[in-house]
Amino acid sequence: MKLDNPALLPRVEAVFDRLVHPFADLLDTGSYVRHIIVSASRVVLGFLLAALIGIPLGLLVGRYLLFHRLFSPIIEILRPLCPIAWIPFALAIFKTYTVAQLFGVRYTTSIFGHIQLGMLFVIFYGGFFPIFLNTVHGVKSVKNIFIESALLLGAEQHKLFRKVIFPASQPTILTGLRVGLGISWMVIIAAEMLPGSDAGIGYLIMFSYALAEMDILIASMILIGAVGALLSYGVKFMSDRTSVWQAKER
Amino acid sequence: MPFLAVNKVKKVYWGERKEEVTALSDLSFTCEQGEFLCIVGPTGCGKTTLLRLIAGLERPNSGDIHIQDTIVDGLNPATTLVFQQYSLFPWRSVIDNVAFSMEIKNINKRERYAQASQFISLVGLSGFEQAFPYELSGGMQQRVAIARALAHDPKLLLLDEPFGALDERTRHRLQEELLSIWQQQAKTVVFVTHTIDEAIFLASRILVMRDRPGRIETEYKINLPRPRKRRSKEFLDFHIKIREEFEKILTTDEKEDE
Repeated sequence: MKLDNPALLPRVEAVFDRLVHPFADLLDTGSYVRHIIVSASRVVLGFLLAALIGIPLGLLVGRYLLFHRLFSPIIEILRPLCPIAWIPFALAIFKTYTVAQLFGVRYTTSIFGHIQLGMLFVIFYGGFFPIFLNTVHGVKSVKNIFIESALLLGAEQHKLFRKVIFPASQPTILTGLRVGLGISWMVIIAAEMLPGSDAGIGYLIMFSYALAEMDILIASMILIGAVGALLSYGVKFMSDRTSVWQAKER
Repeated sequence: MPFLAVNKVKKVYWGERKEEVTALSDLSFTCEQGEFLCIVGPTGCGKTTLLRLIAGLERPNSGDIHIQDTIVDGLNPATTLVFQQYSLFPWRSVIDNVAFSMEIKNINKRERYAQASQFISLVGLSGFEQAFPYELSGGMQQRVAIARALAHDPKLLLLDEPFGALDERTRHRLQEELLSIWQQQAKTVVFVTHTIDEAIFLASRILVMRDRPGRIETEYKINLPRPRKRRSKEFLDFHIKIREEFEKILTTDEKEDE
């Protein structure tokens, strides 16, 4: 086996050249920027769904024994199932339906035309557990003295939630969001590699692999890493700013 | 009818080995409006439990507690409690901690900040409104906790060894401040401590508690003029009397153990 073959290992300059031209068209599929925007919008939408359901559910399960008893068994069974294991199932169920079709927009092209429901489901599933479990943990570790102080100062249940339990568990929730976003990003790449996808950075990897365009493939991998790191730093930056108190408390 | 009446209160806990532990038994006392009542007793005699019952955080197994003729049945706006441990909300600035109870009552920001600033200056912390609890010393944190409790405007202020974790100099200074606040605000105060000196310095009346099960042993009316001198003969006389009482409690305990 000879590694000195651009179809196996491209030259560094070739990869670099791809990276410095992010707007250049690649194999008639669009540019890196376009593929990243497609992947990122799938992730953002799925991740938002996961946060929208995971945080409130986590707050309830963490606080009320009834919800804990209701949801814990289901969640413990679903949790060990890797999100990637759900990809074939999601493809079978949702086929290639997109968010645009779901809302009846069929003949205009928009970013929603690229967001397949199956992918959304898988990202949601990947993001949900870290968000949900961290929220539960955050709520359960709110110090009792804060809750009692608030009650003694006249707080009722819903104000207690809004003004004490939520802010007190916010740092832990943000950790969950950060982990969840990371997993969502990983999962989307896997989902895009499967048949039925038409765009996205994962799709580009498989397509360039098929055409033995290794420079595009490796530049894509570098970009996946960079975008993932950027997302993670973004959430970390946000959480450091909103919970200075927690860092200083310890 | 007294302002606060505790009638034959009994409180039982379940211990770690599922055994019954009687924390308080047949405990009764009253407190008049405007009084500064101190409760002293050895560690573990149920002082904290007693305050939690009066605050409505817990309910007695038998007996009842009345505040101004109303039976205490759960939390009520007439009472609030300052804990020994630091209890400020760490994600809120000093002013937002003090204004918390007003925020709960939906008082608008301008008014609650104006009122909170007054309470902050009352505890001598003007200029620290925007500071966060982690930036404050222990003594300052307890001052904020007292301001936060006062801002709730309780008729009865309960304090559970609020200065217990502080060094002696800070403790003495806060005791003086608390007294001047009590005189200005005309509150009824029930203050729990295990330090005899603190009780004599503050109280208009002292209840001595004993343990196993917790109950009131004796009471002393402290009629010394304020500000009280810790080294005056009368102060020291009270100190010796209460100390003797303490020792009696502890030795009878040892006899019971034998």
